[in-house]
Amino acid sequence: MSASQTDVEESLTCQCGCGLTVHACNHLQCPSRGPLQNEIAEQLALGKTKPEVLSYFAGKYGEKILAAPTTTGFNLIAWIMPFAVVFLAAVLIVVLTRRWRRPAPVVGPSTPADDDPELRARLDAELRGFDA
Amino acid sequence: MIELGALALRLALVAAVYAVLAAVAGARLRRTDVVASSRAAAYAVNGLVVVATAVLLRALLQHDFSLEYVAAYSSSTLPTQYVAAALWGGQQGSLLFWTLLLTTMSTLVHLQNRDRNQALMPYVTTTLMTTAIFFLALTVFVTDPFERLPVPAREGADLNPLLQNYWMMIHPPSLYLGYVGCSVPFAFGMAALVTGRLGDVWIRTTRRWTLFAWFFLTIGNLLGARWAYEVLGWGGYWAWDPVENAAFMPWLACTAFLHSVMIQEKRNMLKMWNMVLVLLTFTLTIFGTFLTRSGVVSSVHSFTQSGLGPFFIGFLAVVIAVSVALLYLRRPLLRSENEIDSFLSREGAFLFNNLLLVGIAFATFWGTVFPVISEAVRGIKITVGPPFFNKVNTPLGLALLFMIGVGPVIAWRRSTARNLRRNFTIPVVAGVLTGVALLGTGLVGNYYAIVCFSLAAFVIATIVLEFYRGTRARQALMGEPPATALVHLVNKNRRRYGGYIIHVGVVLAFVGIAASAAFRVEEQRTMRAGDTVEVGGFALTYKGMRQADNPHVASMLAEIEVARGGRVIATMFPEKRFYKRQQQPTTEVAMRTTWREDLYLVLGSYDQESGLMTLQAFINPLVIWIWIGGIVMVLGTVVSVLPTAAEQRALAAALAVEERGLAVWSE
Repeated sequence: MSASQTDVEESLTCQCGCGLTVHACNHLQCPSRGPLQNEIAEQLALGKTKPEVLSYFAGKYGEKILAAPTTTGFNLIAWIMPFAVVFLAAVLIVVLTRRWRRPAPVVGPSTPADDDPELRARLDAELRGFDA
Repeated sequence: MIELGALALRLALVAAVYAVLAAVAGARLRRTDVVASSRAAAYAVNGLVVVATAVLLRALLQHDFSLEYVAAYSSSTLPTQYVAAALWGGQQGSLLFWTLLLTTMSTLVHLQNRDRNQALMPYVTTTLMTTAIFFLALTVFVTDPFERLPVPAREGADLNPLLQNYWMMIHPPSLYLGYVGCSVPFAFGMAALVTGRLGDVWIRTTRRWTLFAWFFLTIGNLLGARWAYEVLGWGGYWAWDPVENAAFMPWLACTAFLHSVMIQEKRNMLKMWNMVLVLLTFTLTIFGTFLTRSGVVSSVHSFTQSGLGPFFIGFLAVVIAVSVALLYLRRPLLRSENEIDSFLSREGAFLFNNLLLVGIAFATFWGTVFPVISEAVRGIKITVGPPFFNKVNTPLGLALLFMIGVGPVIAWRRSTARNLRRNFTIPVVAGVLTGVALLGTGLVGNYYAIVCFSLAAFVIATIVLEFYRGTRARQALMGEPPATALVHLVNKNRRRYGGYIIHVGVVLAFVGIAASAAFRVEEQRTMRAGDTVEVGGFALTYKGMRQADNPHVASMLAEIEVARGGRVIATMFPEKRFYKRQQQPTTEVAMRTTWREDLYLVLGSYDQESGLMTLQAFINPLVIWIWIGGIVMVLGTVVSVLPTAAEQRALAAALAVEERGLAVWSE
């Protein structure tokens, strides 16, 4: 078995419903694996490259036989999205934490409530409400 | 008897509804007696579910084939341990089992918090019991485990042979414990949001529960991998099947949560993010259950299509809507009380660790659902299989491995150049030397694996250095001998050193995964008795075929003599079984495991007439280190889960502050 035979087998999904690749499927009496392996061998014997063989299979059995999405058109989204999301999230982290880093308005003991009659009144009112 | 089970489930549903109503009303009206009655109702739910489960288990053990479930998932010849395991082997039973675990955990939580967390508890009850209502409603109205057959069957259809395996007995319960365990931190998170008590009490209270859930998710995933390795017989342990992904995603989110809560405890930051993570973890456990049962994505080990999908989607929608609304309302209270000083800090490292964990979870999620998206958008079915997940997740995983080395030793707040030099010079040297040495030995061809080994050396060096320096410091300070100093060091800060031990386990698993993925050797050969095949230094001689037969299963065993360097080292028996009831053949792998590699033999096919036998042989390097890594993770978790005095004081102090605020409550 040549290296590229294995390589192609690992890029195609077995059609017996196992969800494994042609290479990995070992379902007993699997109706799909053997014929597909022979077909791959035939195709490779014609001197085709891996992409050519894969596109032959996609044409014959439909795109779902490919074990991974193609890297063209709509399928490109499948490949780009994870990295795009991680990248954008990284940017978001940096931006957000930059924002936190801006000095927050200082509150606390340095501005006692007594200084501000309005605040004092509100605090008293709220405390009364709390007790009631 | 069966009627008792069905009745118990119906009563449990009623009691759970009461528990929710009483908990909310009690909290609103500040009536402790009403809250107490909701707690009692939650205990009752648990008791009733225990009764229902016992009834189903009894029906299974007594082979009561008038019950649809018993007839569908067991048989009279099925060995007893698997009859018991059939409790979670089918759709209805597994939902009941799930409910059993959930309500039992609810009981434990209520017992633990009898006199604590008075403000939070009613809403914890509400959340847990709402989840219980969902599962109970499924078992009562949609997939009733106590459904009778119109005519009792004479014999059962048997449990799927693939599930008749030791690992399958412990893998699902473990995974379920992990899944269900995630609802406890989630329930406390929800309660914290509702009550606005967003300090770290909910986090400290649930730390052990989170670890508990994480622990069982970890074990569940590893046991699943082990099962696949041993039973499916394709030479691997992980195929990125939707069901595997369903178990992997909550683990990732839970891991992220475990780490980021530390930032909240230490620096009062990331409150919002922690809420998001606990929500995400819980949602992913429900999503995982949905994936395995809905038939939306095809998978080998999912349950058959069942029409449960819409219910799960509905429940998920409610959970997400309620939590997002609460998060939005509580936004002001979730503000960080501190700021990040520098990205070269523990906080920064943890943020990126979180980013990577959630990133991998997202990539896995995305790959899992992309076929559905593609079909909806383009109307074309496509497959997203192992090549996709390996390509996308490997770089993210390696970055994560790097962060495992950086995160625990980098300084809080801001790292100085001196701190970085002190902590990372030796590890970086160790990593680089490992990489160079491996390249030198001619292990070229798989750069990812070499990067992985180098990073592993880097991480292990940081950890060893931590242990070494800590021990030295104690020796100097306390005058203790090295061994004593080491034990005391770990004992004084179990969380930290337990964490390091877990990291060692993770690194070992990384090494095992990288080695077995990159350097696997395999050979398939059709042989006649007497033939020998050479695979990676082993000479495998086919001696002949043996047969065995019992009422449950018939089997054929190929006798393979294994020699190395001209010396016979083992005789192995890869086997093919035929399960009579299900009329299904299965493969039993023969394995010879050493520290270095597994020799893994599969009997492919056998033709009686010609005497030709097809043998598949795999040599999987370092696989055992994945399982050893798992055991180390278990040890590390045990170390870190044991409470230290300091930690209990911290929780008591945090609780005291809470309870003071509650004085109004209990007048």
